[in-house]
Amino acid sequence: MDYPDDSALLTRLLAGEQKAFRELVGTYQSAMRAVAFAIVGSRNADEVVQDAWLAVVRNLDSFQGRSSLKTWLLTITANTAKTRLKHNRREVLLDDLPGPHGSVGDERFAADGHWLLAPHAWHQDTPEALLTEGELRECLEKTLASLSELQGSVLLLRERQGLELDEICNLLQVSLSNVRVLLHRARLKVFATLEHFEETGQC
Amino acid sequence: MLSCKELVAHSSDYLDSQLNLRMRLAVRTHLAMCRNCRRFIRQMRLSQLVLRRLPQGQNAELDALAQRLAELRRQSS
Ligand SMILES: [Zn+2]
Repeated sequence: MDYPDDSALLTRLLAGEQKAFRELVGTYQSAMRAVAFAIVGSRNADEVVQDAWLAVVRNLDSFQGRSSLKTWLLTITANTAKTRLKHNRREVLLDDLPGPHGSVGDERFAADGHWLLAPHAWHQDTPEALLTEGELRECLEKTLASLSELQGSVLLLRERQGLELDEICNLLQVSLSNVRVLLHRARLKVFATLEHFEETGQC
Repeated sequence: MLSCKELVAHSSDYLDSQLNLRMRLAVRTHLAMCRNCRRFIRQMRLSQLVLRRLPQGQNAELDALAQRLAELRRQSS
């Protein structure tokens, strides 16, 4: 098998070990949900994820290890979602819902393109220190919830699950340039939330 | 030379290594000279790390799901 990390887990999964399944769902459930969200929307996403898990268990014996477990799981999820979505794709929604703390917009720059309102130094400079503030966590959740389904999914798959951009394109069937746009706008909103919180101490 | 505004517009592509060589050099040159944009890029990277570390809940739900799937597997094998 080409993916040694997976092979030990796979052996335990094949044996039906509950702890192995707990590891599997703990690691991949939110990525699978993100894929489903992006393709079928929030209303049907949970059902698609359920169906995908059942398909995973059904097909475990035939998993060959030619891809990573992660890629296999996410591909099954994407396929399950696309089957659900009989009328093929919705239009890719690039329209941008406003984030609770805005973005980094034109108003931050002078006519010549220099910063007008440059970023200030933040009080904390590690993720751990920033996240000790419970209120910031809630605040970020709000910002993430404000993103469109597709945009939120792209951000989650990239930043939390570490997928490559081309993997995201293939799974969600969105062009690379669209993924780049979605990701950039989402990141600026997250940045704006962190910046707002660092400057005001509140959400 | 690249303006600060343009640098911000290309910042995600820079972080994801999506820029061609010429643009990458333009960004690096700008960063070498501009404290504000260096700070911006540093804070963008920090934002990425914060998202990665943001805890996600729903443990009870996952326990139940794992139990169901394991049972299903044992039944089918
Ligand atoms: Zn600059």
